[in-house]
Amino acid sequence: MVTQVREQVREQVLGQVLSQVREYMGSAGGLLRQDSGWRQAEGGGRETVATGFSTLDRLLPAGGVRRGSLIEWLAGGDAASADAGGAITLACAVACRLATSRAQAVASQATTIVVVDRGQRFYPPAVLPWLESQSDVAAKGGRMPQLMVARPSRDDDEIWAIDQALRCPGVAAVLAWPGRVHSTAMRRWQLATRTSGAVGLLVRGFPGRLQAGEQTWADAKVAVSPVAGGDSAADPAVRRLRLSLAGGPWSGDEMLKERSAELLLDLTNGRESTRRHRLPGWPGTLSAAGRLQGGRFPLEEATCRAS
Amino acid sequence: MSRIMTVWLPRWPVQRRLLERPELRRQPVFVCRRERRGVMTVVAWAWAAPPRREGSSVPLSGGASLSRTSLSGIQPGMSLAEAMAVLSLTHGSRACHIAEVDQDDPVADLTSLEKVARYCRRFAPLVAIEKPSQHGHGGPECLQIDVTGTAGFFGGEGPLVRTVVWTLATRGIHARAAIADTPAAAWAAARHTDSLHAALATAGAQSRQHRDGLRKRHCRWAVVPPGAHLQALAELPATALRLDTIAATQLRDVGIETIGGIARLPRKSLASRFEPQLLQRLTEFIGERPEPLVVPCSGELPTASLAFDFPLLLRDTTQDDLVAVIERLLHDCVTPLVAKGEGVMSLQVRLERSQSAAPREACPPAIIDIGVFQPSSSAKHLTELIKLRMARMRMPREIEGITMEVVSVGKAECRQRTLFGEAAETSAAQVVMLMDRLSGRLGRGAVFEPRPVVDAQPEHAWAAVPPAAHGMKSRSKPAIKRPQRGGGRENSPEVHRTASMAAPQRRPIWLLPRPVRLETVSVVGSAADQVNASSGPPVQFYSGDQRHEIVKAHGPERIETAWWRGPTVRRDYYVVETSTGGRYWIFRQRRGEWFLHGTFS
Repeated sequence: MVTQVREQVREQVLGQVLSQVREYMGSAGGLLRQDSGWRQAEGGGRETVATGFSTLDRLLPAGGVRRGSLIEWLAGGDAASADAGGAITLACAVACRLATSRAQAVASQATTIVVVDRGQRFYPPAVLPWLESQSDVAAKGGRMPQLMVARPSRDDDEIWAIDQALRCPGVAAVLAWPGRVHSTAMRRWQLATRTSGAVGLLVRGFPGRLQAGEQTWADAKVAVSPVAGGDSAADPAVRRLRLSLAGGPWSGDEMLKERSAELLLDLTNGRESTRRHRLPGWPGTLSAAGRLQGGRFPLEEATCRAS
Repeated sequence: MSRIMTVWLPRWPVQRRLLERPELRRQPVFVCRRERRGVMTVVAWAWAAPPRREGSSVPLSGGASLSRTSLSGIQPGMSLAEAMAVLSLTHGSRACHIAEVDQDDPVADLTSLEKVARYCRRFAPLVAIEKPSQHGHGGPECLQIDVTGTAGFFGGEGPLVRTVVWTLATRGIHARAAIADTPAAAWAAARHTDSLHAALATAGAQSRQHRDGLRKRHCRWAVVPPGAHLQALAELPATALRLDTIAATQLRDVGIETIGGIARLPRKSLASRFEPQLLQRLTEFIGERPEPLVVPCSGELPTASLAFDFPLLLRDTTQDDLVAVIERLLHDCVTPLVAKGEGVMSLQVRLERSQSAAPREACPPAIIDIGVFQPSSSAKHLTELIKLRMARMRMPREIEGITMEVVSVGKAECRQRTLFGEAAETSAAQVVMLMDRLSGRLGRGAVFEPRPVVDAQPEHAWAAVPPAAHGMKSRSKPAIKRPQRGGGRENSPEVHRTASMAAPQRRPIWLLPRPVRLETVSVVGSAADQVNASSGPPVQFYSGDQRHEIVKAHGPERIETAWWRGPTVRRDYYVVETSTGGRYWIFRQRRGEWFLHGTFS
């Protein structure tokens, strides 16, 4: 008898709540749709991973990179040196941090970086030491970070390879430098990242500049341009780069105060440089007249391994 | 009359090692057997890519060195010490320091030869491995294929034998092949394709098809005309009859050196005058005594096939129907392997074409080769790979049946299965599947894992390793160590770290495939500076039509190495920064020319 009364009361209360919800938002389906809309607007409730570069984290509205997002790196600077401006180096460093961050390695087990190397120019010895120096999580039970290279020889193969890599849940980051990409292909990449949680890092802008009306589905566009000269960049192991948020849904926030920043990238370990003082790195400096001020270049480090 | 093709894989123990570890091509490889009292005997040896001599573009002993048995005077059966002495006489003592000496492993050799034999079933259904000789020094190196009646599918015997040699060459296997009436004649012809040119020409090979196999430039194959093998091969040495040492010595003592000489002797007295083996070999050669082909039966791998009632027009068939049939066959192949805890490593699907059409349209089956990096027992994954390949191949118009054959297997990883359906894939397994898919479409060599290599020359400072090499399990990946002078036996990780990662900040992220010569503008104080090699980097350089003004330079980092690979590499590298902020990696050669080698992109 008591049980029946309780069930009646419960059904009554539930009915009241549902009717209130219907009044407020329409049907229950509408509620679900609304919920998914919010989630999408907020980044799908996806986990945010710090890039390891505090300057970049401050620049990105989410305070880092969300898992399952696409980021475009626009190689800026002068047209003559757009392919030597440091955009790929920075994207590579971010990929290494994504693959080796402790949360990534232990929780999601996604520790693989896939480099889609169209043009067959990628030189792994520049990056492999970074992975080794950052793989401290491996000792604590995580998986070793892993670098994989795919070398497509055609444009359609490249687009397909990026799509496949972004779809794989075991991949932490995909690094590529595609040429012209159709909007449909990029939308497909974006949806692929949403399902797998991988981060797509696309370096754009060379050899030809981006087309004016090219539509992009990237969550953020970061322009990277090198800063020439200056005392702070006197150390050859440090690269001084200017980053600015150039577009994408993430940059639409009006509350965003900081739109550009300078970053010092340490090329020895792929982290943000903390060196503040000038190191005796550059032995000679050329003045405007083109004369050598530092005199003769000493053969300071002869790696003569012949015998 | 039967027609037999012999495929000779010269120095198979060495070739097998080169296939597994391609980096060994740069050094002499000796496969040795430990005899009694600790003496090491050379079973096989080769140096696939020896250094080029200064000023010439021809290697000292080129790629064909694999098939020359007496190169540099080293013979199988020699002791290792003797072989090393000969090597140091011909190639210098440094060649001995970098030599790789490996223990003989006949079981592994035979297993991988059986794998090649299974692969060769695409040419004919009956593929056998030669019987190992009782008195020889090495194991079997030849495949014997019964090509009776199958040559028509490939356009004749000449094109068939050529196809076999080149198909194996694309897989990195150096082979020589010959077709004749008997297995013994084909064996003799395959071993002496070089010297067969003149012999076959005089034997009256009139048809174009047979002349095709005789071009001197391409002497890796030979086709002996039907019924003429005794005349065509008469001038070959007597050892081409697979005689043991005693019989060969007896013949040499009486001054008989060729097969023709033996054939002219009265047959009745042969058995009493010489070893009984001689008569047996001669009758097998002529064809009076049948020689059975022994098909390898150890570890037979599953196959499945389906023949349609009538030829299936692919125009009227959707891909899903075809895939459904393939899935069924795949299930039949994979199920017996799963019970043994094994998975498929490579798989061959043959779409048998219709033979009822006009003779000129008769063509070999369309073949889909699938290879994976880690043994897979998932029919779904394998079907996906087959679908990927089918989407990119030219399908035949109509097919009569589908044959599926597992070519090689490996131990599969055991995973906990769920109550319903297959176990959830771990992220590592998913990465392996991704690599399989990528390599299925982009090509086997286009997907790899880079590993550091201890080498001072930047181009050789890393190696592309197939993703399966460490099975996705190994925790530590030591650098591959190239042999250096002073013995390459020690393997300490500290050496790798210090040598390969000396200055990572100086390595660009993009390296040009070949250094590009630069036009530069230099500022020099005096004429002496022009001569002096250490006068610093240029002030400007041009790449294409772009002018770059250098504002900062760091260096030089001198790299002087690689004398053993050819001309010594001697470069002074500089990291230069231009006025626009771009960073480049340029070097100056000994003669003063400047090259762009990489960009810090």
